[in-house]
Formats: sequence, C-alpha cells, structure tokens
Amino acid sequence: MKNSWDKLIQGVRKKDIRAMARLITRVENREDGWKTAMTEIYPLTGKARVFGITGSPGAGKSTLTSEIAKELADRGHTVGIIAVDPSSPFSGGALLGDRLRMQQIFTVKEIYIRSMATRGMLGGLCQAARDVIRIMDAFGKDVILIETVGVGQDEIEIVKTADRVMVVCIPGMGDGIQAIKAGVMEIADLYVINKADKPGADEVEADIQAMLSLSSDVEGDVPPVLQTSALKKQGIQQLVSALLENPSDTQKQKVKEEIRIREEILSLMEREVFRQVRSVWENDGSLQDSVSQVMQKTSDPYTIVKQMLLNHKNR
Amino acid sequence: MNQKRKIRVLVAKPGLDGHERGAHVVAYGLRDAGFEVIYTGLRQTTEQIVNAAIQEDVDVIGLSILSGAHVSLTRKVMDELKNQKAGDIMVIVGGIVPDEDIMELKEMGVREVFTAGTPISAISGFIESAIPAD
Amino acid sequence: MAEDNDYLEKIKTQQKEWEENVLQKRVKRFNLKESPTKFYSPLSTIKNDFCEKIGFPGQYPYTAGNNPFDFWRAYAGDAAKMGYRPDWGGAGGVGKYGGFGTAEDYRDYLIRMHSMGRTGGPNMAFDLVTQCGYDSDSPFAEGEVGRVGVAIDTFRDFATIYEPYTGGLEIDKVPSNFTINAPAAVIIAMYAVLADKRGIPLKKLKGTPQNDILKEFIARGTYIFPPNQSLRLFRDTCVFCTQFLPELNINSMGGYHIREAGASRVQDLAFSMANAAAYLQAGIDGGLAVDLFAPKFTFNAFGGSMEIYQEIAFQRAARRIYARMLKERFHAKNPRSMLIRQPITAHIGCSSTTLQRPLNNLTRAVVGGMAAGMSGGMPGAFPPFDEPMGLGHSQEAVQLQLDATRILIYEAKVSDVNDPWAGSYFMESLTDEIEEQTMAEMEKVENMGGAVAAIENGYMQKAIAKSAYQKQRKIDKQEEFVIGVNCYTGQNEIHVKVNREVEASYDPALMKSAEKRQKEKLSRVKRERDNTTVRSLLSTLRQHAEDEAVNLMPDICKCVENDVSLQEICDVLRDVFGEFQQAKL
Repeated sequence: MKNSWDKLIQGVRKKDIRAMARLITRVENREDGWKTAMTEIYPLTGKARVFGITGSPGAGKSTLTSEIAKELADRGHTVGIIAVDPSSPFSGGALLGDRLRMQQIFTVKEIYIRSMATRGMLGGLCQAARDVIRIMDAFGKDVILIETVGVGQDEIEIVKTADRVMVVCIPGMGDGIQAIKAGVMEIADLYVINKADKPGADEVEADIQAMLSLSSDVEGDVPPVLQTSALKKQGIQQLVSALLENPSDTQKQKVKEEIRIREEILSLMEREVFRQVRSVWENDGSLQDSVSQVMQKTSDPYTIVKQMLLNHKNR
Repeated sequence: MNQKRKIRVLVAKPGLDGHERGAHVVAYGLRDAGFEVIYTGLRQTTEQIVNAAIQEDVDVIGLSILSGAHVSLTRKVMDELKNQKAGDIMVIVGGIVPDEDIMELKEMGVREVFTAGTPISAISGFIESAIPAD
Repeated sequence: MAEDNDYLEKIKTQQKEWEENVLQKRVKRFNLKESPTKFYSPLSTIKNDFCEKIGFPGQYPYTAGNNPFDFWRAYAGDAAKMGYRPDWGGAGGVGKYGGFGTAEDYRDYLIRMHSMGRTGGPNMAFDLVTQCGYDSDSPFAEGEVGRVGVAIDTFRDFATIYEPYTGGLEIDKVPSNFTINAPAAVIIAMYAVLADKRGIPLKKLKGTPQNDILKEFIARGTYIFPPNQSLRLFRDTCVFCTQFLPELNINSMGGYHIREAGASRVQDLAFSMANAAAYLQAGIDGGLAVDLFAPKFTFNAFGGSMEIYQEIAFQRAARRIYARMLKERFHAKNPRSMLIRQPITAHIGCSSTTLQRPLNNLTRAVVGGMAAGMSGGMPGAFPPFDEPMGLGHSQEAVQLQLDATRILIYEAKVSDVNDPWAGSYFMESLTDEIEEQTMAEMEKVENMGGAVAAIENGYMQKAIAKSAYQKQRKIDKQEEFVIGVNCYTGQNEIHVKVNREVEASYDPALMKSAEKRQKEKLSRVKRERDNTTVRSLLSTLRQHAEDEAVNLMPDICKCVENDVSLQEICDVLRDVFGEFQQAKL
C-alpha cells in the first residue's frame, strides 16, 4: 500500500497527469494512508494561487471558469480547476456536469480539470478540497480555480479555502442582487456581473455598489465589480488581471491566512478526535450498550455522552 | 473508517450524433445507482474524451453512439486510450448496435455493449461486478 | 336549460349510485384500492360547446380535422386498382427518405430508383457533417462523411444530385424535401440558385426544407449557432421564401423528434407550440403579415407512443391549440394559416419499437396507424418492424408496413369516418385535459421569455431529459409494461425470429470511400473557383451578418453560386454569431 502511495507521489513530482488524477481519487476516498500521503505532499505546496468562483445556478460560472482558465493559460500559467457539484442525498451518486461547459479547454495542455462531488460530507468537503488543491499545487499548477454553486453553507465554506473569492451574478434575475445569498457577501473579494451583454447589467452593478457602500462588513479594499460576457468572451482579460493583482492590504491577507490555517487544524482535529473516539466506542461495545440503555429508558443521551467522555479520558 | 469506494463513470458522446436521450437516461440512472457520473456533452473528439477520462480518473467510459458509426468511433477512442497509456480504463458502448458489430467491438476491447431496452440496473450491475473492489 | 339541468342531475344521481353500488362492490370483490378502468359520462364534457370546441371537419377550431377528407381519400380506390405505390405511412415508395455517400453516389441511387418506377422528388437526408455545418475535409468530418445521408460541400454537389431531374421530373414539377436545419439557409439558397441556373422561375419551386432549428437544441443536437442567431437565420429564410419561393413550404416543425428525445406528451405539444410561436414571431419581425407566410408552415408528424386514446386526443388538442393561437394571438384571418399541416397525424415512436421479438413492432405500428386513421390522418403503420435492428429497413419490413396501412384503409375502413371519437364523453374530456395541461406548460415557457429563453436557460432540455429518465424508470420498475422487454420474457415465450433482407441500396464500398472522394472533389473546387470573389463575398457576408437587420439570403445565394463551401459560409457566421453552448443537465 505504502509503495503505491509513494509511486503516485513520485508521479505527481514528475508531472504525470494520471498519477495526479489517481492520487486525488485515493485521497478523496480517504483510503488508508491518505494523511501520510498528504504529509508528503505538503512540503511541495505553497506556490499556487487559489481563486474561488461562486454564484447562483445559471450564472454561467462554468463557462466563465473555462474562459478565465484559457486566458490564464494564454498568459503562461498552468491551471487546475476543481468543479464542485452536489451529491444526491438519496443515492450518494452525483451528476457532475460542469465539464460540459468547459469543452473548449479539454485539450489545453496547461489545464487540468477535476470534477468533485460533495459526497454529503458535512464540513468534510472543505478538507477534501484543500487536499485536492494541494495535490494540484504540488504537481505545479500555479493557479487553481475552485468553482461551486453558492447555495449551501458547504459550498460557501469551500470557496473560503481560496485566496480570493469572486461572486458571479447576472442581470435580470429579479431584484438585482436578490440572488446573492446572505453569507456570500462577506467572502467576496470581487464581484463579476456575467452575461453583461444582456440588459440590466448596469442596474445590478449599481445595486452591488450601493450594497457595498452600506455594508459595514467591508473594510479596507472595496471589492471591485466587473462586467463580463463569458459566452462573448468580453471582459475576461480585465477580470483575470484584477484577479492576479496582489491585494494591497497584506496585513488583511495575513489575518485571513491565519484564520484559514486555524480552521483547517481545528477541522482536521475535530474529525480525527471524533473518528478515534467513535471507533473505540464502537469496538468495545459501549456505544451499543448506551443505545440499549436509552431504549430501555434507563438513561438519556445527555448523561450517556457525559459519562462516556469521562470514561474515555480515564482510559 | 474507509469510505466505500465511489465508482466514477464518464458518459461521452463521440462524433457528431446529437441524440442524447440514451446518454441522459444512463447518466441519471447511474447517479441514482450511487455512481459519480461525468457527462461531457455532445460532439466530443476522441482526444477530449480520453483527456477527460484521465483527468477525472474514471473507472469506466460509457460511449453512446446512435449514428451507426459506432465501430469507427469506438476504435478511435480505444486507440487513443492505448496511445495515452490508459488502455486499462474500462470501455462500454450503448446504442443501436447490430449483433455482428457487437462482436467486432468486443474484439477491440470493449467490455460490454448495451442496446436499446437494457434496464439501467443491468448497466450499473455490470459495472459494479466488473470493477475490482480495492 | 332547466331541462338540461334536470337531465344532468339525473345522471349525477345515477353516477353516484353506480359508483357506490356497482363499481365499489366489484372493486372490493377483487381486493383493489380503485378501479383499474375508467368510465366517462356526459358529466365529463359538461362544458363542451360543439361549435366552439369541435366544429365540423375543415372548420375552426379544426378539432375534427383539417379537411372534410384528405386528397388521398379521393383517389384511394383508383390507387388500389392501379397498384400505385404512394409513400403511405413513411419509409416506403417514391421519394424514399434517403441519401448517402457523395452527391454522385446518391445521384446514381436516385437514377436506379427511377428505373424501378420510384419517381418523385428527392427526400434528402444529409450526413451529420453537413447538418452541423462542416465540410468533408473538416477534422469533425472524419468517419462521418456520407454516413447517415449525402455529403454536400458546395453547390456543385447539390447540382449533381439533380442531374436526373429534368424533363418530366424537372424541379418545377416534383417537390423536394431537405432534412436540414442549422444550415437550412444554405440548402435553400442552393435550391434557388439551381432553379435560376436552369431558367426555372423560383416561384414554381415546390418542396419542404425541415428548417426547424429550435427542436435541434432540445431533441436532435445538430445545432450550430445560439438560438437567437439561429432564429434570425430562420427569419431570413422565411422572408426570402415568402418573397421569392411562395410555393415552397417554409419549414417542417417536429414534435415527433421532441417526443423521441424523451419528452412527455404535454411537453412535446407545449414545446412544439412554443417553438412555432417563435417562428411565427420571427416572420412577423421580418416584416411579413402572418397570413402571408403561416400557410406555408408545416409540421413533421406529431406522435410517438403506443397509448392510442391519448395519441388521438393529442392530435385533436394540437389542432385546436394551434388554430386558436394563430387566430387569437397572431390575429390570422386566413384559415390555412391555422392548420397543422403534417404528412400523417399520430403514430408510434421509433422508441416504441423493441429489439426483442421484432415482428411485434408490426402490431405496434398498426396501433399507431389506427390512432392516425382515427385522428384525421392516413392510417400509416409507421415504422417498419425492423426499425430497432440497426440502421436500414429491409424490403420485407417495408412491404409489411405498406400492406398494414393498406389493410387499415381498404379492409378495416378506418378512414371512412372523420373524427370518429367526436362527442365521446371520454375523448372530449381527454382532449380538454391535454389542452389544459399544454396551455399551462406553454405559459410557463412564455413567462420565461418564450422558446429561445427556455432553450438558453436549459429548461426544455432538462425537462425532456428528466421525462426520458422517468419513463425508463417506470419500465425498469415494471410500472409500465413493454411486451418481451420487461414482461413475458420467460421460458414459455417463443422468441420469434425474422427473415430480413436489407435492401442493398447503399453500397458499403462507396460509403467507405465517400470521404476520400468528397475531399478530393472539394479541394478541386477550391482550386478551380475564383478565390478573389470568394473572399470578397465572404467579407460582405460577414459585414451583413453583423447587422441584425440585414437579410442574409441574397449574400448566401451569391456565395453558393460562386462555389463558396457550406462550411466557409457557416464559419463566417460562427465567427459573428458564436456557437451554441449546451446547458448543464
């Protein structure tokens, strides 16, 4: 097992796309040894810049992502794309369709596209996304785009793993920025009004500007608002330039990074502690006993948890 | 705590044939069978299909062809897979395929051919049994 | 009215009594939750005003049919005595839908058909390369040239096909059909240029281009440009045909393809009507009065299921909806504008046929023929039973298909009564139901901004894909039964085999070499033609394409006349219009 992990990591170092693809699969599947593998990948990372792209369904995110990637490749960057789609809560399967809108970049050598399903992992998706970003980073992708539908909390969490986040909206979706969900506002470093060739783009822009000027959440750099038409390939160059521009407020960036690292450690810890505790409880039968106790009404879940934690500490 | 391995399938339509019904039904059906399905849309070139399969690290490529050009289009995909050292990825074909062509497709390495009227469970069942659980 | 009320009250009382004492008793006896069958009484059709909702055949709202009787009924007896083989019910006699290989291959095939007495205009199928706006030397063409139809790169190819069409078969005497959509403007231009070169007045040209691009986005997939720009090209052909080729039908809209793509009956009808509305509006936006061009709109057959009652009601509802839409929304005055003109009415779908025990498909086709015959059409038993066995019908299957249609006409006399279901409590109620559901779905589409918007945002495509999946699930779960497929497949069944001699009309060797020959021809044309003129024509085309107000047909005609290739024309338009990007599922 160890051997094959090593082989894949070697492959990533040698820029073997199949090795990267396979490594992503195995890490995403959380196969035994994935943490060790990521420990080996980690030192190879840190060079890539990560951009999150989110917005409501139908905003043209995939097409926009595709155009951004192409522009980046034209400027000499090597690009990784993570396209996230939801898993079915019923079957656990997923229909990953973002690639459909990226046909034009399927065969661009500098671009690697990976579709990822949310797999119903509450919070777990964020870590998986971080891992995939790192593998791409280790491979040598210097810009990584992560695209998600900005509807669920999970998706919002994912794009927060990015260095900069752009929120995509379109004209004519009812009342201007209604489509932008609460919670997305705070994470936007950049607003894009896509499909700006349609009537109403200026109104949406005015709405966003008005909202920004009212918002107390926005300190320092005011997020720029750009208009694009991904289909007509308009405004893409300006958007990419804006994305690549280094944020002037380095202090703010530092704070952001600190928060990100803290969050990652905590979330990894949370899962690890839970995993360990659970496996002990399951293996020694105490979990089943507790369930029986509650069923027989000799105890209640609150007391059980308190007791089991105490026992766990004393072990 | 290992998660059950997810099977990933690429559903692809090579060539210019635009009949998507079969591809759509299979894509939805395999999703509901618990697979992760990547659908790449119409008019895919051989290179696009093989690149997508490799990047997505899929276990299976399902080609849907209804134009009668299944033999030549499938051969191109099989050749390109070998060319890119990805000949180990399983390929299955769906469409209107006469019996004599099924033989020919299997000879070039296609694992199974599903013609009209195949229940989706037959396709998902076949994939599950043909993919080694590791 | 009081008497009417008494009458209805009486029925109501009796129905209640029947439900409680007769129906429920039986339902209980068989241990069921509800009755597996339905019965309709006058209460189901209370709202119906005969004149308003049904009318006489050939009168508004055309529920009972377009005509008191169709033209073929007038000659049916004579045709039988003479052994005349009209193309009744699909892929059969004259003008067989076809095309393969190079223009030369197809021309030679047509000559052979003519020598067999199968005269009539060509009913052209084009290869996918042509349908998608590419030439035979495009990388996309590899392996596809001349496969599912004939390859057309330049006007010279088109002219070659028509070589045998002179004298009694001159193009002003026989109609031509072109199954072409995205590049329909180019093919129509070729037809016009051909007539011009032969000195035939354009106004005498007959025929039908499919020219139904909107359904390509949702059903067949051979689109090129985005929907809006495609509709602009449609507008240009519509205006051009109305002005110069008034005998030519403008389009042949396809509900059938939409159903085959998986749409439900209601989606099929609603989307077809929404598409038709978009075409009508395009013609009006082109400056035409509706009655000037709407009479030249046609429909490819609607239909596509085995549910005979539903398909009959569907046809009746379709005629009524279309007539009302033309009259009320588009203010048409000419009755011909209000007709759904289609070659046959109902039929089963190719997707209704099964590979298992294929002779059963003949039975299925007969059911479709019955539905057609009872809904104002020729009882065409479409398709031939070997439809699902691979591309190409055998002579045996075609013979049986034709015979089945004849048996329905001559022996069963299905076509002796117009709208035989008119007034049936059940059929009127079902027709109303389909109409209501369709109007609701159409309203949904209209609220999105119409057909173009509902294609751009992927609504129609998604709805159809979901419906197709639901159908498959029902079959998989045995909620719907398909004989020999998901039931009656046991050991006691005999898997009847059939003899099948596929007509060797298309020489496989020719098919194989078509690509090479077609490419050689194209490169010769590109060498021989006046390339300075070509460049200047294409640059004018580009300029004019950028101006939405300009009708591109004159430019396309000039291009065609000067051997500019189909792809060269389409490429310029691709550049200006962009290409359609599929919506996510």
